[in-house]
Order: sequence, then C-alpha cells, then structure tokens
Amino acid sequence: MQNFIPTRRAAMALILAGTALTGATGQAVAQDITLGALRLTSHSPTYIALERGYFEDEGLNVELAFFESSAAMAVGVAGGDLDYGVTSISGGLMNLAQKGAVKVIGGALAEDPDVQGHVILASNAAFEDGVTEPAQLAGRSFGVTTAGSSFHYMLSRIAEGEGFDIADVQMKPLQKVGAIIGALSSGQVDGWAIQPSIGKRLVEEGAAHKIGDLSDYAPDYQVTAVFTSTGTAEGEREQTEAFLRALSHGVADYNAAFVDGTADEAEVTELTEIVHQYVSTDVDDARFAKDMAEGSMRINEGLSLSTSSLQSQLDWMQDEGLVSGDITLEMLVDPSYVETN
Amino acid sequence: MDDTRPLPRPRSQAGPGQTAVAGDAPGPASGPASGQTRPVRFRGGGFQPVPVRGAAIVVFVVLIALLEIGTRTGAISNLTMPRPSAVVETLWSLAASGRLWQHLAPSLMRLAVGASLGAVTGIAVGTAIGLFSYARAGLVPLISALFPIPKIALLPLFVIWFGIGESSKYALIAFGTFTPTVVATFGAVDSVDRQLIRMGQSFGLSWWSIVRKIVLPGAFPGILSGLRVSIAIAIILLVAAEMLGAQYGIGSYILEAGSLYDLERLFAGVTILSLLGLIVGWLIGLVERRFLTWRS
Amino acid sequence: MKIIVDELGHSYGDIEVLKDISLTIPQGQIVCLVGPSGCGKSTLLRMIGGLERPTRGAVLTSGAPPAESLNPLTYIFQHFALLPWRSVADNIRLVLEDHKLPRKEQEAIIADVLARTRLSEFGHALPKQLSGGMKQRVAIARALAVRPACMLMDEPLSALDSQTRELLMEDLVSLWSREPFTAVYVTHNLAEAVRLGHRIVVLSRRPGRIHRMVDIDIPLEERHLGTPELEAHQAELWEMMRAEAEAADMELIDG
Repeated sequence: MQNFIPTRRAAMALILAGTALTGATGQAVAQDITLGALRLTSHSPTYIALERGYFEDEGLNVELAFFESSAAMAVGVAGGDLDYGVTSISGGLMNLAQKGAVKVIGGALAEDPDVQGHVILASNAAFEDGVTEPAQLAGRSFGVTTAGSSFHYMLSRIAEGEGFDIADVQMKPLQKVGAIIGALSSGQVDGWAIQPSIGKRLVEEGAAHKIGDLSDYAPDYQVTAVFTSTGTAEGEREQTEAFLRALSHGVADYNAAFVDGTADEAEVTELTEIVHQYVSTDVDDARFAKDMAEGSMRINEGLSLSTSSLQSQLDWMQDEGLVSGDITLEMLVDPSYVETN
Repeated sequence: MDDTRPLPRPRSQAGPGQTAVAGDAPGPASGPASGQTRPVRFRGGGFQPVPVRGAAIVVFVVLIALLEIGTRTGAISNLTMPRPSAVVETLWSLAASGRLWQHLAPSLMRLAVGASLGAVTGIAVGTAIGLFSYARAGLVPLISALFPIPKIALLPLFVIWFGIGESSKYALIAFGTFTPTVVATFGAVDSVDRQLIRMGQSFGLSWWSIVRKIVLPGAFPGILSGLRVSIAIAIILLVAAEMLGAQYGIGSYILEAGSLYDLERLFAGVTILSLLGLIVGWLIGLVERRFLTWRS
Repeated sequence: MKIIVDELGHSYGDIEVLKDISLTIPQGQIVCLVGPSGCGKSTLLRMIGGLERPTRGAVLTSGAPPAESLNPLTYIFQHFALLPWRSVADNIRLVLEDHKLPRKEQEAIIADVLARTRLSEFGHALPKQLSGGMKQRVAIARALAVRPACMLMDEPLSALDSQTRELLMEDLVSLWSREPFTAVYVTHNLAEAVRLGHRIVVLSRRPGRIHRMVDIDIPLEERHLGTPELEAHQAELWEMMRAEAEAADMELIDG
C-alpha cells in the first residue's frame, strides 16, 4: 500500500463531493493517522496510548492535532484533516452526521453514579441569595458555551428533573469555558454544571459553591464520543478497529489508575506524568496529580456507547429546534464497532 | 508608421489630382485623396470609470444561480455551501415566526447605542485633535496605538469592566467605531480650507462661531465618509459583542448556527448583516444628498 | 481713521522677508501695494489686518473708527473665501451673526449691500452656482456689510479672467465714488494699481523694502482703460520694477 496516502486524500475529496466512497484497506506497513486532541484530562487515554506505544503495537503511526474546542474538531474530521476525534456530543456533530460527513463509533466520557461526575455549581453571590439546590436555579442565569452545547443539555436535564421550565432560566452563551469560569467567579452568571476537575477546583478556591451532582438527573449521560468520517467508518474497518483497540487499552489504564483506584502508586505516578506532558503543563506536579486523582470521570471500558443517552440527547435537540427533525440515530451512529446499550 | 505621417495641409485638399507634396508622406501613398485626409486616430479612451447600471445585480444573480445549480446537482457538497434557496427559506421562516425581530431588535439597539457613543466621542476627540496642538501632540500617537488593536482581543477586559450585560456590548462597539471616527474627523478638520478660517478670524468671529459655522460644516463631508467605515466596523463587531452572554441577536444567531454547523442559518444571519450594511450605506448616501448639495 | 505702519520688519526664521517699512494710509484713499512675487506684500497686508505679528516695528491706527463700524479692518481675499454650504445672503449673515443686531437691522444690511453690489436677485444662490466675478462681488458685499473703516484687499481680482476683472474694477470705482472708503490693495497687476490707487507703493524683492511711492492725482472715475496718462504711469512703474522682477524670477524658492 505504497500509495495509501494519495488514495485516502482522493477519498476525502470524494466525500466532500458528496459521493459514496470505495476505499482501500490493508495492513502491511504502519499506517499514518491524524488524531484530534484537546488539552484536557478527559483525553488522557489518547496520551497514554500514544506514549505507551499502544498505537504502534497496532501498526498505527499517530500524529496529534490539538484543538481549542470540540466543535472545531468535529469540523476538522468532516473536512478530512483528521481521521479520528473525541468530542462532546453536540448539535454541531449531529448536523454534520446528517450531512453524511461523520459517524460516532464509540463512547468515551460518561456519567457513572458510582464516580464523581459533573458538579452543579452556584456563584457565591447566588448561593448567598438562596441558590443552594439545583431546584432554585429557576429564574436565575446559567452559563453555557453555546446553544446546543453539552452545558445546555445538562441544564435541560436539571430543569426536567426539578420540574421547572428551561425558559425560566436565562441562558448566557459565553463561547468558552474560560469565559464562563470568569463570569461565575465574578457572580455574573448564577449557575453552571462542569466536569469535576474544574468544578472541584472552583469550589476549593472559594470561587463557587457546589449545589448538586448531575448524575442525579442524568445517570447514564454519555458526554463525549469517538467519531470519524463516514468514509473511514465504512471503508477502513481494520484500521478503525485497530485504533479503537489501542485507545481502549489506554482507557483501561486510565480507569484503573484514576477512577477505580485499582492500580498501584507507581503506575498512577507514571500515568500522571504522561498526561501532564500534554495537559495543564503550567500547573505544578503535585497540584496536577491531585486534580487527576480527585477529578477524573469514568471513560467507558472498551469505549462502549450509551445509545440510549444519545437518543435522548437527539430527542431533546430536536424538541428545541436546534437540529433537524429528520436526523435519526442511524445517521449519527455506526454501532458495529463497540458494545452499545 | 501610419501614425507618424504628418497631417495633410489644407491646400492639398484643393484637387484630387494633386499628389502629395514631396516630404509629406514618407510611406507609399495609398491613393491621391485618401493618403492626404484622414481622421485623427482617437487615443483618449479609458481611465474614466462610468457608472454601469445593473452590473452589480447581474454579478449577484449569476453567483447565486451558480451556487443553486451547483448545490442541486451535487457538484458543490452540502458541507461546503448551503443551497441559496434553502437560505431564503430559512430567512422566510425566521421572519414569519417572528424570531427575526426577536434577534434583530437587540442587535439594532446595540448597534445604535454603541455606534452613536463611539461616533459622538470620536467626532469630539477628532475635532479637538484637529483644533488644539496639545491634543494633537498628546492623542495622535495614542489613537495610532489603539487603532490596530483587534477589539475582539479586549473582550475579556470589557467583560471585567462592564460585565456580560448590555454595557460591555455597547462598549465594544463604541470602542471599535471610536478610533476610525477620530482619524476621519481630524483628517476632515485638517482639510478644511484654512482660508475660510482666516476669513472668519478677519471678520472678528468668535472662536466658537468659527468652530461651529466654519470648521464643523467644512469637515462634515469627511466625517460622513468616515462614518461609512466606522459603521461597517460596528456591524463587524456586533458578532464579537454578542459572543458573550447574548441569548438573542443576529451575532449570537450566527454564532449558534456556526456551533451547530447549520450552514443555512449561518448564511441567513450573514445575509442579514450584509443587508444591514447596505441599508446603512444607503442612509448615509441619503444624508449626503440632503445636506451636501453645496458640494460642486 | 488712519493707519500707520511704523518701521516694520519681519523674518521667518533666518529669512528676512520685510525690512524697514514705514507707511501711512490716509483716510478715504486707496493705497496699492505692488511688487515682484515673494516680496512680502501679502504678509504686510496680513500684519496690517492683525492676522500676523511682525518681528519688528508695529502697525498703529490713529483716530477712532466710525462708531457704526462692526469690523474696522476687513479683508477681501483673492479666492473669495465664501462658505460653500451657505447661500449668498447667509454668507453675508455669517459676519453679522456675532454682533447681536436686531433681526430687522440684519436683513436691512444684507438687502443694502446686495443692492450695492447688484446681487439682490441672487440672495438664495449657493456659491457653486456663481461665476468668479459674482463670487467676488459677494465677498465685497460681505465686507461692506460690517461697515469697515479700512478694506484690506489681497489680490482681489487675480483669480478672475481679464473681462471680469475690468467689470469689477468699474464696480469698485463706482462704489468708491458713491461713498469713498479707505483701502490697502495688494496686487501684482500694474494696470489695476494705476486704475484704483491714489498712491502706489512699490516694494523691492525679498527682503521687501519700500522701493518707491507714486501718487496719481487723476480722480478715479476719470481713469479708464487706455487713458494715456495711466499708460505712462504704468510704463514708469514697470521700468522701476523690471530689474527686481527679473531677479526675483531667478531666485530659488526656499521656505
């Protein structure tokens, strides 16, 4: 397969032209793949698999491409610059799936009632003003990145669980997580729901108060998913399976060390160092190790995917008019790679 | 070589039988009469753009038609461009559902407040720079330093200063319109005919009368053309201003469409901004026609 | 009111432009300043009007200006200096607005000066609609409106073609004949000088000094195009100026 790369490029061009793909498969030489990554602890399995050579073992030569946001990564995969990505499930991803550009092939970050998941926060000012439980978020403002983002979805779960109308909450789109942190710390938004690594730190620094756990409202919430272009999902089965095996290996290491606590101390230290090479490089080692130990959410073993959570997210976005009503789960997911439930 | 032939003398027109006077035609004479009188070759064309009616519309229509055909036949992937008719449909349903106004009203408010704040302070500061040496010496370097700052980069700062409510949006748009207005205004004040100011002084007009009756009206055309640019910048900044905490607004509508990768909505929003720009340009043209009739 | 220029001198940095100018402008007379280009005659006029400060010497007035004069020293500019956004009447109103005159009086003054410059029909016209000659008549009307004690005219006819210039000279003469005014009239055109000047002051090239003063005692209304005595005066003045003008023509302009 000397001419693999040109073939793949040509394939991408064909996808862009909206034409069905007849791809090439093969397994002789190491294959070059580009993988999208965010500098977040939730992407630890990618770094672990890379540094420990799990990708190499599967005959994959991985190059990382770093992104600022998961939305940009989705577009990167659709445009053919990336082979695989891990991103939060959002309206953007669903719309791209509808256009036949991307497919979800596995699940990653998920809520697990036994593990500390997303925390619901109130700003100090709001907390003192009586917002001590998620039910009191009604009539308050809530930080999100954009409409249709995971934050928006989490708000909808809280609203449904507490029985208030989401329209009673003033949603504040602030585009970036950093902007929401700033707005919450200064009391310009009243509430937020965020991954434990960030949420715990805010609470410890006295910048906000924890008022609840998201797992009470969405116990099986599938937060992020592994996805690829439709062409790769359909035409590069062996390569994709190899990729998922390698990444799963990283996931197993991650869960053992940071979520289940079944790994020994030396293993935890080694993995922490690996991840720290990529994430929060400006934070000191001790602090980072603490964040990892206390704030890591579960990533599904074997990258299994909660299609029921995906379905409920899709239903909600369709109800909100954020995505077209024509989108089906089949357009979004290729269930042939991992275990689904 | 024809071009170098001297003009025929009037005398040679007297009779067709008379051949060219020696030396008149260095080349072979093509005929007795035609060799001697011919129109001077016109060479004054070009370099003078004349208005061509409807050309812009033709360009628009052709582009949109190409897009429509391309997206319908699949030559252009639906990932790269939306179908124009689908964009129009989106616009129509936006208007019909009343959500257009829901988004447009706050945006227009932000534009109006932000741009007028920026324009008024910009005109005041620009006039001061034009009139006072100390203001000029002190402020021109500052304005030159502020001008190239991407105002979007200051967004976090504006949020700290003004919060995520309306005031930070007003401030961002005002700041964006301020610097180009200052530059246009002091340029316009500088270009006011000094002779007119000297005339005012020679008739003993008060300082304030000279500023109000000579400097400002004289600078008005320059200020207006500066406003064209400033308001276009205000529209550009609308999207940036609505990045933070805006639930409604054309900018937030575009941002939302972008994050949803919904090209129809994205282009519908962009179309609204373009139309807004065209309308503002037309309004300024109207003001020019109404108030600048005195220009020759 | 009489104007006295007392040993006036002026320099721009190191360059001396005017030197030892002493001159009296008597009431009711037109004094013409002529000289080669760059001799500082316009600078001198600006100093007489208080628009520029001389380095040495002073410009003095003797006797109070008439009580009704709103702006004793009033300019007429070569390029008219009309506000293009104001109509003819409003251009004249501009110089009255600061004087807190009753509305009626303002209108009366405007009507009067427009009539004296034969512009009554054009009160509503914009400057861009007017010919050069009409623009300068508006400027003259504007100057008359403030009832000057002395008019300072800076090459008022130089921007006009020769026919228009001839017509305007006749206008100026008839204005003066009806009501004599004091004026300093700067020109490089000797024909204008001999037609309008009671006294002609010839300046030398830079640094400008008074080269000669010539008084012409033919009444203004008797001077016409081609009057032999005037031709003689003009020839005499030209002889005086020729060498200076030639030398001035060959100088480099610096600053």
